[in-house]
Amino acid sequence: MTPEISWLDDPQVFRVNQLPAHSDHRIYQGDADLKAHQSKLTQSLDGTWQFKFAKNPGERPVGFYDPDFDYSDFDTIKVPGHIELAGYGQIKYINTTYPWEGKLFRRPAYALNPDDTGKGMFSEGEDNTVGAYVTRFTLNPELRDKRVVVQFDGVEQAMYLWLNGQFVGYAEDSFSQSEFDLTPYLQDGENLMAVEVFKRSTAAFIEDQDFFRFSGIFRSVRLVGQPAIHVADMTIRGEVAPELTNAKLNLTLQLQREKNAAGTAEIEVRDAAGKVVMTSTQSVSDTLKISEDFDQVHLWQHVDPYLYSLKVTLLDSNGDVLEVVPYDFGFRRFELKDKVMLLNGKRLVINGVNRHEWNAKTGRAITDADMVADLATFKANNINAVRTCHYPDQIDWYYMCDHAGIYMMAENNLESHGTWQKMGAVEPSYNVPGSLPQWREVVLDRARSNYETFKNHTAILFWSLGNESYAGDNIAAMNAFYKEHDDTRLTHYEGVCRNRVYEDQISDMESMMYDPPKAIAEYLDNDPKKPFINCEFMHDMGNSLGGMSSYDALIDQYPMYQGGFIWDFIDQAIEMPDEITGQPVLRYGGDFDDRHSDYEFSGDGLMFADRTPKPALQEVSYYYGKHIN
Amino acid sequence: MASTSTKQVQIIYGDATLGLRGNHFGYIFSYERGGMESLVQYGKEWLFRTPKPTFWRATTDNDRGNGFSTQSAVWLGTDMFLKTTGVEVAVNGNAIELPIAPVNNQYSDHEFADNVTITYTYETNTVPATTVSVAYTVTGDGQIDVVADYHGASGLPELPAFGLRFVMPTPATEFTYDGLSGETYPDRMAGGVEGTYTVEGLPVTKYLVPQECGMHMATKQVTVTRNRTLNNADRANTPFELTLNQADEPFAFSCLPYTAEELENATHIEELPAARRTVLTVYGAVRGVGGIDSWGADVEPQYHISAEADHSLHFKIAGVL
Repeated sequence: MTPEISWLDDPQVFRVNQLPAHSDHRIYQGDADLKAHQSKLTQSLDGTWQFKFAKNPGERPVGFYDPDFDYSDFDTIKVPGHIELAGYGQIKYINTTYPWEGKLFRRPAYALNPDDTGKGMFSEGEDNTVGAYVTRFTLNPELRDKRVVVQFDGVEQAMYLWLNGQFVGYAEDSFSQSEFDLTPYLQDGENLMAVEVFKRSTAAFIEDQDFFRFSGIFRSVRLVGQPAIHVADMTIRGEVAPELTNAKLNLTLQLQREKNAAGTAEIEVRDAAGKVVMTSTQSVSDTLKISEDFDQVHLWQHVDPYLYSLKVTLLDSNGDVLEVVPYDFGFRRFELKDKVMLLNGKRLVINGVNRHEWNAKTGRAITDADMVADLATFKANNINAVRTCHYPDQIDWYYMCDHAGIYMMAENNLESHGTWQKMGAVEPSYNVPGSLPQWREVVLDRARSNYETFKNHTAILFWSLGNESYAGDNIAAMNAFYKEHDDTRLTHYEGVCRNRVYEDQISDMESMMYDPPKAIAEYLDNDPKKPFINCEFMHDMGNSLGGMSSYDALIDQYPMYQGGFIWDFIDQAIEMPDEITGQPVLRYGGDFDDRHSDYEFSGDGLMFADRTPKPALQEVSYYYGKHIN
Repeated sequence: MASTSTKQVQIIYGDATLGLRGNHFGYIFSYERGGMESLVQYGKEWLFRTPKPTFWRATTDNDRGNGFSTQSAVWLGTDMFLKTTGVEVAVNGNAIELPIAPVNNQYSDHEFADNVTITYTYETNTVPATTVSVAYTVTGDGQIDVVADYHGASGLPELPAFGLRFVMPTPATEFTYDGLSGETYPDRMAGGVEGTYTVEGLPVTKYLVPQECGMHMATKQVTVTRNRTLNNADRANTPFELTLNQADEPFAFSCLPYTAEELENATHIEELPAARRTVLTVYGAVRGVGGIDSWGADVEPQYHISAEADHSLHFKIAGVL
């Protein structure tokens, strides 16, 4: 296949040769590397890569993926990381308007005219910077003679991949894992991987989040060697009976087998004390389904995030272990009953925060240490829920929330704010995805990736369709996707309140942002259809967070008022040396000569950008502490 | 020098000032400067310039978003350019003719009283104008009872703040207060835990854009500690303190190295000048910070400060032991 740069312009091309999304389980060679939490079947490609920056597609090093290419003028760059923070490309912060505001006239393909294909809009975009990345690797012994895939956890915003000079595939969706099969292109000894990253593509229209606009390979990259029998996907469903004591574990394994390999699968579940509570041994086939009753289950919830440990061991016909897959899961019952959301039979109150992934030094390339620190802050301040605004987070975060008992609103990577709201006014003349057929599959793909990847995380109570993208047939289709696949969670989307024609098709809850307490009371006093949740409230910009008592009062007054997510957890600002003193200082939009900008509007956190708490945090701790659940 | 009494305050009827002295303290109230010019306890000066009523707070992000600062901008001018329009003196509660020359020739070098009150009247540059009076009553133990009264006038835009601002010659090393933990405002103080807290240095809360910060509501007492003076003959580097106590009700205060105007002008914290002073402001009225949104939502009505109503501030500067 020949890669086409025109894919950047076409909203209907967003994944080429990418493997289907699947559950985020990790595979191990055996109990030893499982115990060490260091899978011998994975090989990290993080580190220093060769790099060449181009200001626009016309200046990019065409053919750099060719092993014979002359790399003498390439620099180096750290992976993961943002190109802009490595010193290439201007740093820019903008909220709702598109980053080319005032510089280029763009309208989404097909939005105003069915004949407008958007040809050249990004492939010839003068603002479309390009990063040419090159790395070389030799497979670790444990990965040799296996099917080998590469996983990119996050590449912003469009990427083309080559291995040893051969084109492998193409991906958009900056915040979902992109996986490709490298097996046909691998060679003995050293392999040459080349990744061409474009800052803009049609994805730009649906990745208009209120944040710094970066590009690059900003999350980890790894190789995974898959044994001859391999768990390609698993679905773990703990169905808790209404009386909340008994449950059924439904486990579905999709196995990938080399030449229909024979073998067995041993399935074991232990409780948190390590006691084996279930075992099952099955002959392998393409699909294995196991259903098991659990009596007297220990339920999972914020105050007691009790998890059971599932372990799947795959053995070949000689009884040798090929692969071990662990997964911790919990039993919980989440339902909508009499228009109130109940968790394990009790009314749920969300004491939540919106959380962007952020580190003042590295931007959205954050580490596990950042996540651990954030969870400690959650725990210390009675925060029980997080909305992954407005994109899927790093996979580790979901595991951590399972263990910490943090209720998750897992949001899709979707925001098209600039296509429907202009200077505060609702003006959806060129809204995407809207109901445009050409923009349907791309958003459905994002819903699928979010679901398939994270479907086994007990912590997720809500699938959020996206943020501030208006409403139309395509977002309704995303809602339908979740409804078809998952009856253990609810769907959430605020934007339908901007276009109520779709309110019976989109979102199980009435979600608003920044409604004053009186407006919420008015909704709840007038025969409301759905329970109410603030997907964003208490805008903590600068010295703020006054008046929380009025929201708190609604909790006792209205059972259908179920709390909300404070905007937001951490300021987004970048630590730089001051030009005058050389001291580290925090910089925000407009500080990089970036215009049009929204300046300090990204400083809305309960934490300062350096992860120290703002004074307002004690107020959150107090009010959230009144409703621990 | 005439003998002094530990029970009474000595009055120095100067030509430009009224001096009040006692064991370990000396205060000078200026007719020319329109306020208290010197507050010395144990030989250490606590005033850099005369304390003045204050009306402004550095615009918060929410103030900017909802247009509050624009609507109330007149108070910024008043905060900076307040006029003193009157000075009155009372001895033992009885008003006396203002003792400036030559009226003061009738007095001697041994004048004593149980208490002396000096009251300044200030007029705002607003339309309509209104007045604020600040009365300092000094007793023989050096305690200063301070009462500031704002007189409401109809038609004036809402006040960002009302308080009395003391600028001290050098930066405080720390301050200790008996009140609520953390930075609190009328609409954000439920999470504050009562206790005694020491804040080291003079931290400016590091909001991305410098703005109103450092408020401490419901305070019973605050003690400011410094260790340096501007007196070239005083090289001591030992801590010394000044304490404010509540009078009838707890008060609010902030203790920062900058005035509201200095904070107002900075777009980044690193643009603020080196910390050279202590700005201790005691408040009689504090506006809430709001939080519903940052692009138009108002602070809840009960946390506004009407400029059409009267506001009062009463506290005591502790004397010497």
